[in-house]
Amino acid sequence: MTLEKFFNPESVAVIGATEDPKNITSTIITNLIEMGFAGKLVPVNPHHDEVFGLKCYPSLPDIKEQVDLTVISIHSDYVPEVLEQQAVCGIRNSIIISGGFAELGGKGVELEERIKNICRDKDIRLIGPNCIGVLDNYSNFSTSFLPWTKVKRPEKGTLGILSQSGSYVVAMMDMLSLEGIGVSKVVSYGNRADVGESELIEYLTNDELTHVIGIYMESVDDGRRFINASSNFSKSKHIVALKAGRHDSGIEAAKSHTGAIAGRYEIYKAAFRKSGIVEVNGLEEFMDACKVLLMQKPAKGNKVLVLTNGGGFGVSVSDMCSDTGLDVAHTPAGIREALSEKFPEYFILKNPIDMTGSSGDEDYGIAMKSALVDNDFFDAAIIIPLMPPPTMTDGVAGIISQRAKESGKPVVICMVSGIYTEKIKAKFEEKGLPVFPSPERCVKAMSVLVERGRMNGC
Amino acid sequence: MVAKDTKFKDALKVIGNVQASGRKILLPDEAMDVIKLSGIFTPAYALVKTVHEASVEAKTMGFPVVLKIVSQDALHKSDVGGVVIGVENEKEVERNYNEIMNNLFKKVPDADIMGILVEKQMPKTTEVIVGGIRDEQFGATVMFGLGGIFVELFKDVVFRIAPVTKTEALEMIKEIKGYSVLNGYRGAERLDIQQLARTVVTVSELVSDIDEIKEVELNPLLVYTEGVTAVDARVIIK
Repeated sequence: MTLEKFFNPESVAVIGATEDPKNITSTIITNLIEMGFAGKLVPVNPHHDEVFGLKCYPSLPDIKEQVDLTVISIHSDYVPEVLEQQAVCGIRNSIIISGGFAELGGKGVELEERIKNICRDKDIRLIGPNCIGVLDNYSNFSTSFLPWTKVKRPEKGTLGILSQSGSYVVAMMDMLSLEGIGVSKVVSYGNRADVGESELIEYLTNDELTHVIGIYMESVDDGRRFINASSNFSKSKHIVALKAGRHDSGIEAAKSHTGAIAGRYEIYKAAFRKSGIVEVNGLEEFMDACKVLLMQKPAKGNKVLVLTNGGGFGVSVSDMCSDTGLDVAHTPAGIREALSEKFPEYFILKNPIDMTGSSGDEDYGIAMKSALVDNDFFDAAIIIPLMPPPTMTDGVAGIISQRAKESGKPVVICMVSGIYTEKIKAKFEEKGLPVFPSPERCVKAMSVLVERGRMNGC
Repeated sequence: MVAKDTKFKDALKVIGNVQASGRKILLPDEAMDVIKLSGIFTPAYALVKTVHEASVEAKTMGFPVVLKIVSQDALHKSDVGGVVIGVENEKEVERNYNEIMNNLFKKVPDADIMGILVEKQMPKTTEVIVGGIRDEQFGATVMFGLGGIFVELFKDVVFRIAPVTKTEALEMIKEIKGYSVLNGYRGAERLDIQQLARTVVTVSELVSDIDEIKEVELNPLLVYTEGVTAVDARVIIK
């Protein structure tokens, strides 16, 4: 059965609907109204006739029309009863936001077993419990119980986010909004009583609006299925994974966190490798890897051109490239000859190419034409345009992106954040070139493109 | 056991016999049989039941030899004084044979002893570990690392999902931090990395082909400038 109704339901019943602002159900409804969800929203609560101007039904059997999905955020003790009821009504999908299940141990584990059995017997598909649920940025549907005024909804885009952790999903959405990275679908599946990452990856493989998946994992639902699904997805798209619970203490945390027991980290690494997944350390790397894979294609090899008008940045980027296994190879004679005809003799032409503070916009175009467009020695380029000299203007973004396009090779920009450079950054990113605010992050992002290129080559 | 299309049919027979006896951990000679029948190089070895047999076998394979206890009551052989290396002549065979037996009986008076494994002692060289583990989540995996202190202290090992190709095996070998030890560090001769890679492939195929295997480990596998030899092995079945 497809998972489509979780993302694009025509009719949704919100169980325990209320206007009480202290109750998370009220935020779920106001979020949906604010987003302009086009499907039918059906509040269910025996204590109200109307919720936020919508007719409220005492119970599910009182609704006469077909309902695709229930959203349940009531106390866990009452969840089995709701599932039994929705089975009678023929409602086949449910997102259970409520906690109070396996993550508590003891009775919670039993309760989760009970809802699993009901869903299995009655043919109900389930996301959760103990989760944020979904955001579909194109159908304008979400089950998030956090107000969009406090967690900014990301723009529409092509990044899918999957996560066992609700707090990570929320943090990622907020960070992605700030960074201007657009999102297609977000799923937080919490205790993963039914739908898990493997099935979601299978589903997103055919989702034309999702080009990259970023996944936060503590454990895996089904190891072999995960490898197959991810390998298949990675043939044409990319997956970035942030694995938590890597060490003994982390495993303890993972257990109490979502009721999942994390597996041995080395074997996860092997599985990621097998599946073509890029593994990252920490939130910042996660964002950067997703961003660079959304905006640039993998590199064919590891020979990287470093081009700048500021010597120090050229040197430090080169150092970090060497540390990361990127080859800042010497500029070959052909390119040097071409450039020495066009440039003054005090420009340094060995890689990194340092055009010094006296160079300007057009020099970037000239250097890239000879070193990247007309010659295939380099596989990729890190460009470090320092903006303070008067010869550098915002026109440089257009020149660099034009040459990058002509070369057909991946290009990333290193530009330290400042009030003025933030504006230039926006210009680069409008034109599809990702900008990273430090040599470290820029080189790491490039190494992701090289790593992905190498994987595809295997 | 279901007959399967595997190139490890002979190894599977050994495992089948162990399963039939209800044991989970193969005895040293059985583990050596499994890896030898899988096409992995081993030194000459023989299971013997008497001092006389031990002497005959040792003479046939040539001194020095190693003697190892074979008993399900002594699966950690060295802990019970069950291993003697550098046995140089028949006289030493006799003395050490009896000493190994006595050592075990002192520790485990009612020990069930299958015999002694006489194994030709191989020249010293770099030691590595090649292992395979069936993971509950991801299934068959293969591990490679340098032996001894490198694995114990530095955990300098690499895992892959099994089976691996030879290209992947070579990548694994190059990925460990201690790779230069194999690749001619400080003027030392470059070791047989090609044959080592083939052995990693074989172990990965063994663990992915034979579902009955839970763990397999060649430790140590000796790596020479030409060829590799597994001098000890562990095989654990479901």
